[in-house]
Amino acid sequence: MASAASANLNAVRETMDVLLEISRLLNTGLDMESLSICVRLCEQGINPEALSAVIKELRKASESLKVQKLPQIEQYCWKEWFLL
Amino acid sequence: MAHWSTFEKETERETKKLIRCISGVDDEEDQNFQLALKFAWSNFRFHRYLDVDSHKVQRSISGIYEKLMVHSDLSKAGSWMRLTEEFLNSPLPNTDGTKTDVHYSILSLLLFLSGSPSNTNFTERPRVKEAEPEDNFDWGRYLMEGEDIDIGPYPDTPEWSEEESEDDDSQQPISREDSGIQLDRTPQEDQDHTNKTVPVTWTVGEPDARAWLEQHVVTPYWVAHAPRFPHSLHLHSNLLNSLLCCTGNSLVLYWSTSRYLLCNIIQLSCDFWLLCYRLLSGVKKHFIFQHHDGKVSVRNNVVVTHLTSNCLRSVLEHIAVYGQAVFRLQRFIDEVTGYSSEPCPPSSGSSYSSKKGSEPPFRTYQAFVWALNKYFTSFKEELTTIEKELICNDETVTLSAVLERLSPHLAQIKVLHKVFCTGVAEVPPETPNVVRASHLLNTLYKAIIEYDSVGEASEQAVALLFSLWTETVRPYLEIVDEWIVHGHLFDPAKEFIIQRNKDVPVNHRDFWYATYTLYSVSETVENEEKLNDAASGSSGGDQASSNRQLTMVSFLKPVLKQIIMAGKSMQLLRNLDCKETEQSCQYCIADAERKSLYTLFLESVQSRLCSQEESPTDTVTEQQATKRSLIKMQSIMAQHLEIDDVHDPLLAINFARLYLEQSDFHERFSGGDFIVDRSSQSVTCQTFELTLRSCLYPHIERRYIECCGNLMKTLKKDYKLLEYLQAMRNYFLLEAGDTMKRRAGSSCSFLNVQLQEAVGQRYPEDSSRLSIFLESIDPSRKKHPVNNLEVLTLSYKVPWPVDIVISTECQKIYNQVFLLLLQIKWAKYSLDTLRFNGMNFTAITKKLEGALAEEAKAKEPINQQIHRMCLLRVKLMHFVNSLHNYIMTRILHSTGLEFQHQVQEAKDLDQLIKIHYRYLATIHDRCLLREKVSFVKEAIMKVLNLVLIFSDRWQAGFGAWKIESIDKMESDFKNCHMFLVTILNKAVCRGSFPHLESLALSLMAGFEQC
Repeated sequence: MASAASANLNAVRETMDVLLEISRLLNTGLDMESLSICVRLCEQGINPEALSAVIKELRKASESLKVQKLPQIEQYCWKEWFLL
Repeated sequence: MAHWSTFEKETERETKKLIRCISGVDDEEDQNFQLALKFAWSNFRFHRYLDVDSHKVQRSISGIYEKLMVHSDLSKAGSWMRLTEEFLNSPLPNTDGTKTDVHYSILSLLLFLSGSPSNTNFTERPRVKEAEPEDNFDWGRYLMEGEDIDIGPYPDTPEWSEEESEDDDSQQPISREDSGIQLDRTPQEDQDHTNKTVPVTWTVGEPDARAWLEQHVVTPYWVAHAPRFPHSLHLHSNLLNSLLCCTGNSLVLYWSTSRYLLCNIIQLSCDFWLLCYRLLSGVKKHFIFQHHDGKVSVRNNVVVTHLTSNCLRSVLEHIAVYGQAVFRLQRFIDEVTGYSSEPCPPSSGSSYSSKKGSEPPFRTYQAFVWALNKYFTSFKEELTTIEKELICNDETVTLSAVLERLSPHLAQIKVLHKVFCTGVAEVPPETPNVVRASHLLNTLYKAIIEYDSVGEASEQAVALLFSLWTETVRPYLEIVDEWIVHGHLFDPAKEFIIQRNKDVPVNHRDFWYATYTLYSVSETVENEEKLNDAASGSSGGDQASSNRQLTMVSFLKPVLKQIIMAGKSMQLLRNLDCKETEQSCQYCIADAERKSLYTLFLESVQSRLCSQEESPTDTVTEQQATKRSLIKMQSIMAQHLEIDDVHDPLLAINFARLYLEQSDFHERFSGGDFIVDRSSQSVTCQTFELTLRSCLYPHIERRYIECCGNLMKTLKKDYKLLEYLQAMRNYFLLEAGDTMKRRAGSSCSFLNVQLQEAVGQRYPEDSSRLSIFLESIDPSRKKHPVNNLEVLTLSYKVPWPVDIVISTECQKIYNQVFLLLLQIKWAKYSLDTLRFNGMNFTAITKKLEGALAEEAKAKEPINQQIHRMCLLRVKLMHFVNSLHNYIMTRILHSTGLEFQHQVQEAKDLDQLIKIHYRYLATIHDRCLLREKVSFVKEAIMKVLNLVLIFSDRWQAGFGAWKIESIDKMESDFKNCHMFLVTILNKAVCRGSFPHLESLALSLMAGFEQC
């Protein structure tokens, strides 16, 4: 039983390694942790296109947070992006 | 949030992680975080995107590959295809299978997030697989259970190598003890080399694991090979030929120098089953099992390739136990039926069958054996059915599957063996048949009660035991039937608990008491005791049971008394001369149409069960559950009834319901002594006894009432029993007192003549039966005149069979009462006949006047003395009359009326004898004849003697005795009178003798007048 579980774990690890290589090849910008989260969300049934849209928007929003802006404009930007 | 499902909670958790990961905002309370979270949820829930299409994804994958090829990025293109293919065939953490929608969904996500893959520099990084830890567990040793045996050559190897064939002389020859197996020297075709077993570490999961098992644990006997021994040139390969014949050439035999290896190419279990079948069928000679001193054991040197020795042994020993039981039962059957395959010396003859051919057959054991034989016949039919299925080879059958199928039968064999051991085998050899039969029936009875109390779990066992009991009890019931119907106790083997004493003929005086002997076995003493049926069967049993616990045939115990009474009555009836010959003819006609007790019993069981079929069934499932057991019982009971030409298929079905459907038992068969509820467990423990109570006992009771009633009717009508009893009262109790006259000083012959003349005038038929005997008088013993009558003995000749009731002992008691009555009557007669004759009286007084004139003046005047005499006479008359009236009316007459009433109500002869004895005891007690009250009788005798003396003196006249004797008589009478009044009053006041009250009152009245 223990050997079967460890074998399964190894297989899953290999799968994630392969997926990470694919992600690198496609230049998605996802690291292993994000990739694992995305895999779990997809297994739970989240639509990949919706998920990709969310990830893109989060990236945009985080990029904009890095730019030095006024707080009012920041809030406006966040609200403007997410309430649309 | 409390109402979120697990899925939503997990999605929430992952989304938060994603936001933290991508946006870098860690604080969940942050407004941005919350906004991002809401945004993500709104997109996840309310998006308008289509579901993933695997074909589209596949097309995208191909498109990217072409694009990369177009861009001459061959390595990237190759990596792309390889990676995507590997990913699609790899497992995901929570998704089973490959190339699932989740796989395509993830690829779709990556494609959506991709950013110009052709413009990026990508080099596939090598992935290092983790080395799995080696499993050092020795599976070979574990499977072989530590045994280290040489399992012989493998299919690809010959039985012995060329080197072995050169060393034939060094091999030890196999002994011929084992069914004649010897080494076969037939030259072989294959000459492959043997592979020696080498312990190899075996890793789980390796593709060649099966091959490893084949090579190191078990020989692949299931692989078809050309038969290695198409023929044998050896002269002594008997076992091989016989086994091949049995199994159709499917058996391959390997052997080494010390062990025998059985390998079956097709089904090893089939062959084992075949050999086990032969064991269970009672065949003695086996290859696997051996018999020694009646015990079946498994041979030590049998080895199979796919089971270890311990495992094989445990399975075979399980079968051997049942084979042992079957062997024992079969031997018992053979011994009883007289067929034994093994000759035994005459000195050690079996304890079950007759030691000599002339001894009568032991029918109870024969019936038991018959029942066992019937069971084994059905069992062997089942075995044959299984064997046929195995031979057909339509489906794979394993030994454990066959044992599972036979498990109900094996459980029944266990029950049978247990009953046999307890009821038959444990009985000492020299035990008489009566004890053996009783013990066997009691064992079956107790086993039924025991298994019946378990409830539904032991339905089959109860059904089997009941069928066994029903068959075994048949000879017993036939003996009972023959005895209580024809009066003939036919028991040549002396197995019935009641035996006939042949030396006591029917018309013997002691016929009723000494004809039969009831045998009982004491449990505590464990010795056989003989109980003579002194008074009756029941009284003999009651007397003995008060001292120790006795066992007899348990199921007959409640009706044993009735059986004994009916049997004795029938035998007596058969020997009585029946005056109405029509009755005998009618009896013969009725006998031809009569059903035996056994048939009646079975019919009663049938009718009892049929009535229960009318009760509504509960559910269909319950019907289905009991259907199989019902059908089984049906076959058993139908077989029983078919013997008596009664065909009813409903019997067994309802018999099984007897133990299941209990709702109406209480209404139908409540005896009032036990409480019945609806749970089957509490009711079924009474079921067998209820069956006997309702189906067997009533027939015996009916027969008892019928034949005892016939006997009483015959005795009263044809043999004038009541008239003889009346005659005894007439002559001994002086109810016909006018015929009994005394002649003083007569000789015996004269008295007899006088008696016969007196009786003949009124009762001519009794004149020849009555006789008087006089005992010789011992002058030294004679004390008082009243004792003169004690030499008389009245005898009444009672013919057989009435003398069973009016026995010699009874006549002795009658005589005692007769003597007392005679003495009283004599005294009364003496007083009644006294006359005051005027002439005589006056002459005496004148004579005395002259001679004793002077003396008379000094003493009491004569008139006064005469007056005193008259007074004394009256007092004596009052006393005697009181006593006489008390005896004749209060005691004899009233007791006689009660006796007559009880005689009319008596159901059987035994009861009548008891009633008569009780009547005699009563009048004996109440006539104050008991030793304890002898002082009272002495006082009465004194008074009676005084009466006789008084009478004599009165008759002699005044000159014959002195005047002082009046004083003495008066004082004697007064003392006795006072004593009796005191004693009787005390007894009456104590309340222990109510019948003395009238005597006490009348004596007291007379005493007060004194």
